[in-house]
Amino acid sequence: MNLGGVAANNLRRNKLRSALTIAGVAIAILAFVLLRTIVEAWTAQSSDVANDRIVTRHKVTFVLSLPKRYVDEVRGMKEVKIATWANWFGGKDPNHDTDFFQALACDEKTFFEVYDDMRTTPEQLKAFKEDRQGAIVGEKLLKRLGWKVGETVTLTSQIFPGNWEFHIVGTYEALKKAVDPASFLFHWDMLNERMPKAFQDQVGWIVARVGVGSSAVDTSKAIDDKFESSDVQTKSQDERSFQQSFLGMFSAILTALNIVSAVILGIMMLILGNTVAMGVRERTGEYAVLRAIGFLPRHIALLVIFEAGVLGIVGGGVGLGLAYPFINLGMGRFIEENFSNFFPFFRITPESGAISMAIAVGLALCASLPPAVNAYRLHVVEALRRIA
Amino acid sequence: MIPIEYNTGSLAARKTTTATAVLGIALVVFVLAASLMLTEGIKQTLGKTGRPDVGIVIRQGSDAELSSNFDLANVGLILEGSEVKRGPDGNPLGVGEIIVVALMKKVGSDGVSNVQLRGVPDNVYAVRPDVHITEGRKAKPGTDEAVLGQKIRGRFDTLELGQSVELKKGRSVKIVGIFEDGGSGFESEVWCDVDTIRTAFGREGIVSSARAQLTSASAYDQFKTRVESDKRLGLEVQRETEYYEKQSQSLAMFVRVLGTIVAIFFSAGAMIGAMITMYASVASRHREVGTLRALGFSRFSILSCFLIESALLALIGGAFGCLGSLALGTVKFSMMNFATWSEIVFTFHPTPKILGVSMIASAVMGLVGGFLPALQAALLSPIEAMRGE
Repeated sequence: MNLGGVAANNLRRNKLRSALTIAGVAIAILAFVLLRTIVEAWTAQSSDVANDRIVTRHKVTFVLSLPKRYVDEVRGMKEVKIATWANWFGGKDPNHDTDFFQALACDEKTFFEVYDDMRTTPEQLKAFKEDRQGAIVGEKLLKRLGWKVGETVTLTSQIFPGNWEFHIVGTYEALKKAVDPASFLFHWDMLNERMPKAFQDQVGWIVARVGVGSSAVDTSKAIDDKFESSDVQTKSQDERSFQQSFLGMFSAILTALNIVSAVILGIMMLILGNTVAMGVRERTGEYAVLRAIGFLPRHIALLVIFEAGVLGIVGGGVGLGLAYPFINLGMGRFIEENFSNFFPFFRITPESGAISMAIAVGLALCASLPPAVNAYRLHVVEALRRIA
Repeated sequence: MIPIEYNTGSLAARKTTTATAVLGIALVVFVLAASLMLTEGIKQTLGKTGRPDVGIVIRQGSDAELSSNFDLANVGLILEGSEVKRGPDGNPLGVGEIIVVALMKKVGSDGVSNVQLRGVPDNVYAVRPDVHITEGRKAKPGTDEAVLGQKIRGRFDTLELGQSVELKKGRSVKIVGIFEDGGSGFESEVWCDVDTIRTAFGREGIVSSARAQLTSASAYDQFKTRVESDKRLGLEVQRETEYYEKQSQSLAMFVRVLGTIVAIFFSAGAMIGAMITMYASVASRHREVGTLRALGFSRFSILSCFLIESALLALIGGAFGCLGSLALGTVKFSMMNFATWSEIVFTFHPTPKILGVSMIASAVMGLVGGFLPALQAALLSPIEAMRGE
């Protein structure tokens, strides 16, 4: 039997303690994976966006809009392939007052060309363009609010007074994790017509796609430079930077989650280290005997480290085994259905799984170092005398 | 009863094991207390904002001041009722304000966030008597001067006394004073002159919200009925305290849910830690337990003895955890409030109740974790136990 086998066998001597330790490691890993998934679900949105799309907003604030003529000016730029625009509507279904979703007034002609990662069928797109009151609704939202294609729905808005009637003419499917699968899109003209004269012909933001050979960063700068001397100045960012700056507003929460993740790993190390240390203390006599019959200090230390490694592997495995069904099937589904505007994608990524496993084993080894050092330094004669 | 010195002595005898278990529980209690303190901080900040005798009027269907807007002319109608308190000059104590946000650069990071700007009329201090200038002076009405809430001070570029904040090209406001309002959410805002905001943000002829200081808190119902009964106005009245309570709901809920999930996992971990320690402690004391039983101590005494020891262990951990969390009292936590889309600054707010709950939670963790080992000890047969190693 090799050293690894002896180490594994040692764990069977106090089955209860080993089982408890494995449970502790498993819970810590489960919690760690959960926290990581939250952080990743949040940040995934910025790593998965199209990087050839540029969002241009008002420089100072999102409560102000841009003159519509800016769209034509952006379209006229040689770097820009195509551009569209949208306004925030802040829609609510009066029957589901607390259900928050993103409703946008968009340009029906170009919106889906710029957002080609939102897929709708050619027939539905045609119907959308032809029906002034038409709306395209994300599949997730349709399901959540129990609407059907062909139905007429009435929305209210947090910003604009009155009732707004729309015909749902189609749905779209989000092809990327970063795309909100639960938006409500309707004709910008509908909104513009009902605005007071002074607020007409304003767009919330402009989205442009850069042509082949042009960089998003340079084009963003070119757009902002173009409007620098105008009365309304702009801030343009490629979609990734845009998402990242949005995430930055929640950075405190992300920091807190990261700290908490570190703390749970600390607790895991304490539990594991404690178990290994207890084992070493109880087996001092045996180690002394092993040393007396010719095993070297490093053999004894390895024995201790192996033991911890086995605990880490088994505990991490059990934790991950629990995490997959818990997050991917239970909680994640619920979150994706109901909170898709914050977390369109809530699942354990393969990287998260691998990292958690590596951390479980790595920290187990670290936790075993102090007891391993003790075992290494074991004074054979002393130890033998103590049990005699 | 077995004297408590037996337990303290035994914990002291196993220093390493005791220390690791204590540290584990301390970490758990720290996280638990910190999340409770943060939830409390959010509630305190937004709960302290507003007064029960102030009615806030926004457009019906808007969830917050930021998305609300209505005609400036309606402010006069809102304030004309007899339930609105009048100042010494006979004018109603009420304001029509404009709320906007501006994107600013956070200090100490390359991030940006939205800061709430409030356009306030001349009589703002009469309507909000709790607001005091702590440094500098009040802004001169009708000028491009502004005062800054003390919580948001220094957290964004140029948000500092004497600095200027650019609202639009060629239009800046100068910060001439710092105000405090008992830790309320207003302290995360910049107050400018209402006309400055109106022209800089193109809000001619409209306001975001109106506030009326009522003759008493009980005059609220009358005020609400009067304003809401005029359907042409399309306005909605809320008590100011309730309005801010609602603003804090989603954020407080978010922190509470996250905190609870984390606390459940953590306490499971800590209980396992306590259990391992106590099992080891029982196992190494079989002989002692046997002797105690032989001396005449009952099974119940043994059970309670080990439970006390485990609870003691956990309480020490809990005390360390609470102490650690108290150190967070100086940390400012700022993030986006989902309800207003703007940055709000909180502090971790300790209360005796939170510390009590945390200590109780740690004792419970100790008792639950220690129960099975204690039971095992109590069920030992004295003869077997004294014979065993």
